[in-house]
Amino acid sequence: MKLTIDRVSKRYDAHTLALEDFSLELGSGVLGLLGPNGAGKTTLMSILATITRPTSGAIRWNGTDLAADPNAIRSVLGYLPQDFGVYPNLDAVEFLEYLAAVKGLDSATARRRIDELLNLVNLTDVRKRPLGGYSGGMRQRIGIAQALLNDPRLLIVDEPTAGLDPEERVRFRNLLSDLSGERIVILSTHIVSDVEATATDIALISQGRLVRHAAPEDLLAAVEGKVWEWVVPSSELNAAKQKFLISNSARRSDGVHVRLLSSQPPPATSPVAPTLEDAYLFCLSAHRAGVTA
Amino acid sequence: MNHPLRILYHMVKADFLERVRRYSFLVILAGALFLAYCVATEKLWVVVADGYRGVYNSAWIGMLMAICCSTFLSLCGFYIVKNSIERDSATRVGRILAATPMRKEFYTVAKTVSNFAVLACMVLVLMAAAVAMQWLRPEVRPISLWKLWSPFLLMALPSMFVTGSLALLFETLPVLRGGVGNVIYFFVWSFGLVGGVVSGFDDPAGIRILAISMRQAMERINPGGGKNAGFSLTIAGVRATRTFLWNGVDWTLHDVAWRLMWVAVGFGVALLASVFFHRFDPVRESVRENKEEKRNMTVDDPALVQEPRQPKPEHTTLTPLGQRGHSRFARLVLSELSLMVKGLRWWWYVVAVGLLVAEFASPTREAREGVLLVAWIWPILLWSQMGCRESRYATQSLIFSAERVVYRQLAALWTAGVLVALVTGAGTGLRLLASSDWQAVAAWLAGALFIPSLALALGVWSGSSKFFEALYTVWWYVGPLHHLPSLDFVGGSRASSSPGLYLILAAALLLASCLGRRRQVAYA
Repeated sequence: MKLTIDRVSKRYDAHTLALEDFSLELGSGVLGLLGPNGAGKTTLMSILATITRPTSGAIRWNGTDLAADPNAIRSVLGYLPQDFGVYPNLDAVEFLEYLAAVKGLDSATARRRIDELLNLVNLTDVRKRPLGGYSGGMRQRIGIAQALLNDPRLLIVDEPTAGLDPEERVRFRNLLSDLSGERIVILSTHIVSDVEATATDIALISQGRLVRHAAPEDLLAAVEGKVWEWVVPSSELNAAKQKFLISNSARRSDGVHVRLLSSQPPPATSPVAPTLEDAYLFCLSAHRAGVTA
Repeated sequence: MNHPLRILYHMVKADFLERVRRYSFLVILAGALFLAYCVATEKLWVVVADGYRGVYNSAWIGMLMAICCSTFLSLCGFYIVKNSIERDSATRVGRILAATPMRKEFYTVAKTVSNFAVLACMVLVLMAAAVAMQWLRPEVRPISLWKLWSPFLLMALPSMFVTGSLALLFETLPVLRGGVGNVIYFFVWSFGLVGGVVSGFDDPAGIRILAISMRQAMERINPGGGKNAGFSLTIAGVRATRTFLWNGVDWTLHDVAWRLMWVAVGFGVALLASVFFHRFDPVRESVRENKEEKRNMTVDDPALVQEPRQPKPEHTTLTPLGQRGHSRFARLVLSELSLMVKGLRWWWYVVAVGLLVAEFASPTREAREGVLLVAWIWPILLWSQMGCRESRYATQSLIFSAERVVYRQLAALWTAGVLVALVTGAGTGLRLLASSDWQAVAAWLAGALFIPSLALALGVWSGSSKFFEALYTVWWYVGPLHHLPSLDFVGGSRASSSPGLYLILAAALLLASCLGRRRQVAYA
């Protein structure tokens, strides 16, 4: 099972290059696609889900080019888009039955699978309520259920935890981890903690380019010894922000406790263990500096 | 200082700019230019009684083009601008506006003015085209700008204002917001056109004032003949054989006041709309409100959105699906059919069954010429969802990433649409089969295939149900209801039916639907 993204670019118009020469090769596991807003994550997801054509480059599923045979990927694809709608007059079962029919599942299989999925996403009790009455989080869970209808080998989820409450968010992260065994799961988000909990691999994307593709441990190793805690008076906080890359700050009685990323820390700082968020900010900052230079 | 006029100006400006920067605005402009072209090339003309038409001077050209505005544009324009609240709702801008001190009356007046601004743009294009037209058709060379443009200013613009305000009123009334309103407006519009002539009062389009003025002109060249003077805007009818000189309406203060009254009526309608305007309350802004949906849409009610809690499973696994077959087409057709009829109320079925019974009970001729026509306008809102449901409910990304979506899903949808036509027209179809009138059977079948094909093609290409609802209603009224040869897709009578033509058209429209859907799907 292999998904190859080979030098894919997407240009919307003369001024908007959403993806540029993006290459990646994926095997089973969860890939966390991290990047700031507007980095090109949704465009990449949309291309992988066969919704959008790339301007150049190729996508291959087990060696089959998507352009030559899009059904090769569609037959194994589960896709949860960032924005999607539902038919408000249908209830959860009817909506999933319809999508199961569109995906080519027979009635008996669809019924079994829908029961299983509604239980999985915790919607069994409201299965007969029209979707028009669902809250945002419940709709999102219907989206998750539809993505799993056809037992996908390739699961693409774009900002899946948006609108979920903390409990459901943890539940979904666990679900992703559990399902990743014999699948490729691509999780696109800008919420680092979602990736931290589930990803076996991380791809950092910025301005349409792949900044880094590595295991979470490798990313953390890259910022080892570069994260510091510094206590500064409130009045000096702005100056500190100008001078250093700050990943967090908290006001305490003795001043502002600042978490900063630097190879050469100021005096009176103490080293702290890096988090994935530190690594993410450090890589992006280094990339932007490189692009600007 | 936030002067109300300044706020109004900025609201109208923002709305207007948002509309004119959309692709659809170019289509509107193209439509207006096409109208001008039709007038210039005499594809569309006005005939006064006894085969007279006016000499192409400034007054006649101005009248001709202004009458196009206040008749055709008041129909098409309604469907074009009837989306201003819907757009604010869809973009969620409305909720931002609702959180400001803006009054409802202010909002509805601003939206009416904005609707008018879009329609007035088309009128302006035609005003410019009128100058070019008189220059190109030099029956009378001197151009009198007042005579050329006064019909636009005094007839077309007030008519556009009324249209804009009605579009807004229809949007605010839950029952008229959707397809029902689109159909009803056609009949309101038809009544408005003939209403003035019949009642003796000024009509929104200003036809009565024109008819009086022309009758007087005819009376001058043919004393006594003016009594028979009619007034018909013709697309493909009898051409005029004689000309007469008409120097336009001598606009009196009384006439001008009558025309300005329609602007006041427009403001009144806008204010009336504010009574029904939901102010973007999520509970009330549902597209098709009914009691059941209202209950479902109260998403802020904690009792309704209380999310169920269950113990978390230890480890999640999905049962394997096994081998999937490829012969699931019938199931997909049933799913499409079920989706199509979902949400219909009980009375819809009662009427449909009543019509079906009437088809069986009526003599064959009456069933074919009368009941079938009603039976095939009744499901218009089912057909109008075809091809555009995905864009309306933003489910494209879910549907279009499925396998063989263009041919499989589209074919299933079309089949479901045809089934609706066959079932609702089954009474007539079976009677025709029993009478072995094969030509009539062919016409019936062609109609059953043509209607869903038209709906599908228009839905796929326009992404909206409105286009089909408007076009189908007009076509149904002009063609089948009046048994107009070549436009009668139902084949109501032997003389007017053309089954071959409609079978070919159905096939062409189906092909167009496939091409349209291929365009929407990245990898067809």
